[in-house]
Amino acid sequence: MKVLRWELFKLRAQLRVRAALTVCLLAPPLLALVLSSQPGLPKDTLFGRHLHESGFALPLLVLGFAGTWVLPLMTSLVAGDIFACEDALGTWPAMLTRSRTRSEVFTGKAVASVLVAVALLVVTALSSLVAGLVLAGDRPLTSLSGDALDPGHALLLVLLSWLSEVPPLLGFTAVAWLMSVRSRNPLVGVGGPAVLGAVLQLLSLVGALGSATNALLTTPFNAWHGIVRHDPYLGPLWQGLLVSLVWAVPCAVVARRTFLKRDIT
Amino acid sequence: MVVLAAAGVRKSFGNLVALDGVDLVVEAGTVHALLGPNGAGKSTLLRILLGLVTPDAGTVDLHGTVGGFVEAPGAYPYLTGRQNLELMAGLDDRPGEVSEVLRQVDLLDRADSKVAGWSLGMRQRLGIAAGLLRRPDLLVLDEPANGLDPLGVLALRDLISELATGGLAVLLCSHDLAEVDALADQVTFLVRGRVGWSGTATDLRARPGRCLLTTSDDARAATVLGRGLELTGTTEEIDAQVLALAAHGIAVRSLVRESLPLEQAFVELAQ
Repeated sequence: MKVLRWELFKLRAQLRVRAALTVCLLAPPLLALVLSSQPGLPKDTLFGRHLHESGFALPLLVLGFAGTWVLPLMTSLVAGDIFACEDALGTWPAMLTRSRTRSEVFTGKAVASVLVAVALLVVTALSSLVAGLVLAGDRPLTSLSGDALDPGHALLLVLLSWLSEVPPLLGFTAVAWLMSVRSRNPLVGVGGPAVLGAVLQLLSLVGALGSATNALLTTPFNAWHGIVRHDPYLGPLWQGLLVSLVWAVPCAVVARRTFLKRDIT
Repeated sequence: MVVLAAAGVRKSFGNLVALDGVDLVVEAGTVHALLGPNGAGKSTLLRILLGLVTPDAGTVDLHGTVGGFVEAPGAYPYLTGRQNLELMAGLDDRPGEVSEVLRQVDLLDRADSKVAGWSLGMRQRLGIAAGLLRRPDLLVLDEPANGLDPLGVLALRDLISELATGGLAVLLCSHDLAEVDALADQVTFLVRGRVGWSGTATDLRARPGRCLLTTSDDARAATVLGRGLELTGTTEEIDAQVLALAAHGIAVRSLVRESLPLEQAFVELAQ
């Protein structure tokens, strides 16, 4: 807990993390402002055509974009730097000659990065929900199955949809830990998972991998498509959870093992 | 009392043997200088002692806690000096007082400014403070005078002497041989990963030194001495050679020790 407390303190003090939080907070309302001032709507995106009909459409539109491009970058900003920054600043000797074990240090850093990544997700979700409600009010939402969902039901499904992003987000967080620990370089730690996310998305969009696309860590970001329906199907959600675990667990185990055994040179 | 006893420490990085069977004993209340040319294995040994690098073989018995830094001390530039130390204290079970260590390294007046704007010397002092905050029994300092102005160097020497007098064991790694000469009770030379020489600083200072002389008749003096205008040997041996010149009616006008014994030893051992 001591390590976690101080890691959160350090993260709060970093301009990069504050900037990311600010962007997560302000980007959805700005998007709502731009959309409300335009006569047309982004009809080619999921829920784009319903933006003026229901306030629950905006958080789902933002989710569609964030899940495709932003969330891997968001988590790598924190998790990709959390180990490598100590190498860059030369602070490992000061930190690892204290009373805390390396295992405690790893756990504290890992949990801190997860908390901040999830906080960024929550801020984006709530900000886009509030912006959507201000833009179009809490009117019924037309679901992906074409039915109208009453506001209470729509709100629940919006929140569940955002919640479904957590497993792949944690998967990318673990990838970022691994790259951060192995490379000892903040650029690789932050840029690596973001580039990986972009490459996997492109492969997915091109459709070159056939059914293997389901094993990509970016695919679970789309599992919410099955939720926002009158008759939800949860298959992609469970599959996404499994895929996220398959990526996250080995990456976390290897990252921890590497960290515990590495020489600080 | 022995604070640190390392025996047969060995470490390789790939094909490079950094340490090859190094023994080191550091006692409480002493300043132990670790010397050697670049690449001798000093930093690797210090990292092993701090628990940052795992040795391939050998034992390191540490009786108490160790604090300090290797090479340049790191700090979080986006935090203040005080916050950096509070963070380190937060990771310790029984840390010292942040304000007290800041006072010891004369950083109290700048403690609440961000480290990003600090000079190298101030960062060095912050590193020493971070080491002291651990309330260590062994303080490891690698080139602690880097970036310090002359007043800072003098203050650092006083601080190290004071700490050792208070019972702390200080392991000092420095290329500033004047600093080592002024502070060290014990000296260990590392050469190519091995201990080239180890002993007390007094023994080292008593090593035969080389002196250059000028006389009233340099040509005859060179003949009398048989090896040019150069005297070597212990103090007593040099006295005897000066008296021999006097017996031949040659006056000694100057007798200059060419370098500190430590420098001589360093050069001899490094070669």
